[in-house]
Amino acid sequence: MAEFLTIAEAAKRIAAKQLSPVELLQDCLARIDAVDGKLNSFVTLTRERALGEAKAAEAAIMAGQYRGALHGIPYNLKDIFETKGIRTTGQSRTLSDYVPAEDCDAQAKLAAAGGVLVGKAATWEFAHGGPSWDVLFPPCRNPWDLDKDPAGSSSGSGASIAAGMVLGTMGSDTGGSIRGPANANGIAGLKPTYGRVSRRGVLPNCFTHDHAGPLAWTVEDLAILMNIVAGFDPRDPGSVDLPVPDYTAGIGDGVKGLTIGVPYRWIEEEAPASAVTRAALDAALSTFEAMGATIRPVELPTLRSYEDAKKVIAMAELYTIHGPEMRKNPEKFGASLRYRIIAGSVIRAEDYIQAMRMRTELARAMQTAFKDVDLMVLPAGEPAKTLEPQPPESLFTKIGYTTAFNVGGNPALAMCMGFSPDGMPLGLQIAGRLWDETTVLRAGHAYERATPWRDRRPALVA
Amino acid sequence: MAETTEEELRVLAAKAGLDTLPAEYRAELLSAYRHLEGMLARICRDRPQGDEPAHVFVASTFAREG
Repeated sequence: MAEFLTIAEAAKRIAAKQLSPVELLQDCLARIDAVDGKLNSFVTLTRERALGEAKAAEAAIMAGQYRGALHGIPYNLKDIFETKGIRTTGQSRTLSDYVPAEDCDAQAKLAAAGGVLVGKAATWEFAHGGPSWDVLFPPCRNPWDLDKDPAGSSSGSGASIAAGMVLGTMGSDTGGSIRGPANANGIAGLKPTYGRVSRRGVLPNCFTHDHAGPLAWTVEDLAILMNIVAGFDPRDPGSVDLPVPDYTAGIGDGVKGLTIGVPYRWIEEEAPASAVTRAALDAALSTFEAMGATIRPVELPTLRSYEDAKKVIAMAELYTIHGPEMRKNPEKFGASLRYRIIAGSVIRAEDYIQAMRMRTELARAMQTAFKDVDLMVLPAGEPAKTLEPQPPESLFTKIGYTTAFNVGGNPALAMCMGFSPDGMPLGLQIAGRLWDETTVLRAGHAYERATPWRDRRPALVA
Repeated sequence: MAETTEEELRVLAAKAGLDTLPAEYRAELLSAYRHLEGMLARICRDRPQGDEPAHVFVASTFAREG
């Protein structure tokens, strides 16, 4: 198979007219044809449209009209991002024939930047319940081991990047749905600050916690994608009108002088990390120290309190979104999502608002903790487990390391920090102050440059 | 907080428009609620009256809506 390229590498060659966008797309399509029948990472492939876009990009570039780093680059979108004229299903039988009349904000921006949309990526049903075998499409599998879970809900986005089928993608993250798949698939994924990237045209899961963000093979590629999709959108009520920096500028400045906080109580007492994950984290912290950062403990409220507030809010909003369909056609939902929607029906207004008041307190505590540190570093999760149905009540019982940053609204990056003895990726999480994606990406890029983890691809496609 | 009974739950669901749920889905509701009520019990409710929820109406959000 053709060599694997990052967005940054491909963009340099395309700009220099050394690489044809059509040939780059054909390499991606060849990988899709070779392995996606096993992976199920695409639910819709827009082959002919993509070829047309690649040819148009090539013609424009040859005519001297190069638009920038995404021009001629193949990408896909999680199938909750609405795309004009292309079916957008949310992996749900309730939207099996839904063809939007308008592009979501992210697609409008990526298309304007000259990107080549290859198709729509698998998700959990409406980015919430899963993995599921009783929804519109079969669940996506993990390219590092087809018997393993690629995690969700941006499952197809994560798997398709790891397998080199596209160079960039957009996912959504309400409690960890970008960072979980980044962790499980050994790639990079950024949940930006709440309000930084528009969610207009992204099928909602939980209005108050939904974030849209990029996934890619490298942190530098995330910065390139952020330069395109970040910015104020007056049609997203959660969007915030603040200056947007150039995320690629200064990305190579390193971590010297930065203070990194580690929430040891979370990872040692409340939700102890496995030995392999802890060893990888300790090695990562040593790497940061060797590069000139200072490591210190940081205290935060319990993970459980963040999970409680978020889940009560999320289930109430979930019922608000899906109640009308649930009242008419409950059988159309997969069992996993239906279980959660039904639970949301009995949350009272006071419960919801008290949970929102608790969120205020928890978000404040998070920002207070960030007064003493520039970043927080912790695991993104544990290595991928076997892909199999999960008991629906696991939503209530499991505790993860990602949700707290949705509650706080803080930017958080997940990226590869090595491999387990059985070859599955391990994930590092780097969280930052509100609106400071720049420092998060800078630290991630420094770590990536200092470690060899980007040299390995899944054997399925290597 | 006393455990919500199955009958009380049926009434709550009916008020949410789920009065015709098939029996199997009512069983799912009961199962889910048994987990949910633990979370609800842990939500802090003893706050000063002026404590605002995380999302309040921000008029400026709509000033530039296109």
